[in-house]
Amino acid sequence: MLLNKVSGADLMLLIKKLHKWLSLLVGIQLLLWLGTGLFFNLMDHQKASGNQYRQKTVPVHVDMARLIEPQLVLSKSKPVVSLKQISLLAQPYYLLTHQNTLYRHLKNNYSLVHAYSGEPTVINDVMAGKLAQSSYKGQGVIKNIIKLSPPYDDIPREKNDVWQINYNDEVNTSVYVDVGSGRIIKHSNDDKRFADIFFMLHFMDYGSEGSFNNVQIIVFAIFTLFFSFTGFIWAIELGLNGQYKLSFTRKKRKLALFDKDNQAIGSFEVTTNSNLLDGLAAHDIALSSTCGGVGTCGQCKVQLNHNTKITSADHSHFNDEQLKQGFRLACQHNVSEVGQLTLLDVTQAKKHLLELTHSEFISPFIKELRFKVVGDYRLRFRAGAHMRFFIPAARGVSIPQRLPEELKPHWHHIEHLEYQHNACSRSYSLANGDGQSADGAEELVFTIKIQNAANNSVLPGVGSSYLCNLAQGQTIEAVGPFEDFYAKSNSNKTMVLIGAGSGIAPLKSILEEQLLNTDKDPLAKRSIYFFYGARAEQDLLYCHEFFQLSKQYPQFKYFPVLSQPSGDWTGARGYTQELLNSHLEAINQLNRLEFYLCGPAKMMTDTMKLLQEKHVDASNIAFDQFTQ
Amino acid sequence: MVIFDIDYIHGDSLVVNHQNSIDVAKISYPLSALRQQYPDAKHIAVENFIDQVVYRFTAFDKKYLVDAFNGEQLSPLNAKDAKRAAKYYYSGTGEIVEIELISENPPFELSPRTLPAWRINFDDFGSPSLYVSAQTGKLVGKRHEFWRTFDLMFSLHVMDYEDEDPSNQLLFWFAIFALLAAIFGAVLSYLVIFKSNKADVAKQSIGGGFNVAD
Repeated sequence: MLLNKVSGADLMLLIKKLHKWLSLLVGIQLLLWLGTGLFFNLMDHQKASGNQYRQKTVPVHVDMARLIEPQLVLSKSKPVVSLKQISLLAQPYYLLTHQNTLYRHLKNNYSLVHAYSGEPTVINDVMAGKLAQSSYKGQGVIKNIIKLSPPYDDIPREKNDVWQINYNDEVNTSVYVDVGSGRIIKHSNDDKRFADIFFMLHFMDYGSEGSFNNVQIIVFAIFTLFFSFTGFIWAIELGLNGQYKLSFTRKKRKLALFDKDNQAIGSFEVTTNSNLLDGLAAHDIALSSTCGGVGTCGQCKVQLNHNTKITSADHSHFNDEQLKQGFRLACQHNVSEVGQLTLLDVTQAKKHLLELTHSEFISPFIKELRFKVVGDYRLRFRAGAHMRFFIPAARGVSIPQRLPEELKPHWHHIEHLEYQHNACSRSYSLANGDGQSADGAEELVFTIKIQNAANNSVLPGVGSSYLCNLAQGQTIEAVGPFEDFYAKSNSNKTMVLIGAGSGIAPLKSILEEQLLNTDKDPLAKRSIYFFYGARAEQDLLYCHEFFQLSKQYPQFKYFPVLSQPSGDWTGARGYTQELLNSHLEAINQLNRLEFYLCGPAKMMTDTMKLLQEKHVDASNIAFDQFTQ
Repeated sequence: MVIFDIDYIHGDSLVVNHQNSIDVAKISYPLSALRQQYPDAKHIAVENFIDQVVYRFTAFDKKYLVDAFNGEQLSPLNAKDAKRAAKYYYSGTGEIVEIELISENPPFELSPRTLPAWRINFDDFGSPSLYVSAQTGKLVGKRHEFWRTFDLMFSLHVMDYEDEDPSNQLLFWFAIFALLAAIFGAVLSYLVIFKSNKADVAKQSIGGGFNVAD
């Protein structure tokens, strides 16, 4: 039974994968089928028939007495399968069929004889033109008359020679007359040709065979059938998992969150008709997920009540023991199924109320904010940790309030803008390194860059603006600390800190922590190299402090680098990664180094590339990615 | 629907397309005699009917079949002649199991214009039926189960269960919703396949991490 279940889960995973890749394969054709199908549903069939200017030819009176005996005609002719008396241009003719196929559009062999005189007649251009004109009621004039042999774009199924009579009317009518019998085969015009394009796309008839029995459509039809089938099974599975429940009243319910040490983090209000992954994301608790919540990547692992039902996706990502313990994928379970949830990648994170004690510009666009925890306790954290701030809905401004006079020139080019923003949450790294001291950190330090809008159509950074405009004494809620980036303990390797811009915060924190450790235990001395990039002198954060520290602690070396320095800068020029590259070999053997990275995306990717080229082991690289 | 050859579906393989040419010697009843017998004959044709040479014509919206050898009127066809004709047209080897004259309310697989007609059912693969006009003796329909299934599927295809007209409201709304669903699906595919693949690669190469936003 259990075995069956597991293989069922594997099958479900296979079905989902199949569906994903089939969507890529048949997606565009499926859209074409639906789009052209909708066109056929809506199109004017009269217009699309090409018969806008077609009229019936008037029947003529045939004087039977003047008809010559068919016997006479037949005896003079080559073998005939059928003799029919027809009328062309108000004259009676005998149409002799010498070779007959099942359909008129297939290859037939005819000849014509005048039914009164017995004179053989061939449809020439003049006669073809007159025949066409007799079937035409428009105002156009014949442009030209051309004799053609198959194949034809307008009448792809026709296999006989035809006269094409073209009119100069507004829809470019063409009339097709059968060369052998004088029959009007078809009227075509631009409206019909337009509709024909849709038929070609719908039938995938790119060889213009006038049929839908081609190889490409058969292949696509089979793939699409599989695509529908896998989708259907998937939909049933979603239905069984309760993911199609409609709830028109978006009820809210409280969800109690626990960290992986089973410490309560707090309770969050989530809407019942979302899955846990989305519900947590609404509070910016972004569990890792690359599949978009369909249960294939298996990254959004959480722990729920062990009674929670097990979906096929849960089966394929957890073993029986884990399932018994309540491990599940957050995307596979609805908020309404659970009352509490344990996060697996966060430790000791709790909600705290923080009060701003100090706020100061340390560069034209970066502020240092200091908070203390409201309540009778202090936070303990490993250097490099971050906190997630809950930014309330508020009015924001694009230019900071209380901007010091000397910084105003830097903000001249920013347009003044007031805006309303929704509540959201944002994460910022702690910049102080005393989080592991006995009583916890006295205060929480952050360096926050005020993100300006890239253009007028987007809002400036909502979180950074709000925080930097907080006045002393104001409070804000934050959850944390989250420790994902920290110095490796029990290591004596040389630390290489690489950072730029406001990415300095976690690096400064780690540096301070290491130097504090040295104070306590001189044997714990590790060499630390700090490469820090900025644009110009005024952007070089804590420059003075770092130089001071490098004098005080000989094991610490500080390498600032500027990309656009003023004239009197005597230090390194360029980018952090370039400076690192030139010093890397000299620091120590590569396998004796540990790298800690935090900075803008470009610096991160370039540095990662550099380290990969140098074959630095991934286990010796830690990074703290921030997005702008 | 696309897998089955449309010519097969149309039943083209059920019938033999006879190419016997007209034997002039079998015409001893001339047009002049026909004219006197049927002064209002129109659209006269001289053709074969099984082994006879015949006149086919229309008079007062009725069609006639007359033996060109002796002027005998063969229409309306009796059951025996209809059977003979059906066997002559049929390409298979199955025996006739049922014959029925349809004069009104034709089944959906027979055009009302061809009435009255004989329906001749054969005991063969796909339960084929041939329709022979009782007035002209001509083959006016050929159907087997594959055609019938195909026809049903076409009804499903255009979502019209009455007259197979693709311009119906039901199809319109389903097409709209299907198109919307397909567009959402395309967006989802794009995000899942192209966007997340990149994220995967990035994650693998750096080994983990989180985002610190503005």
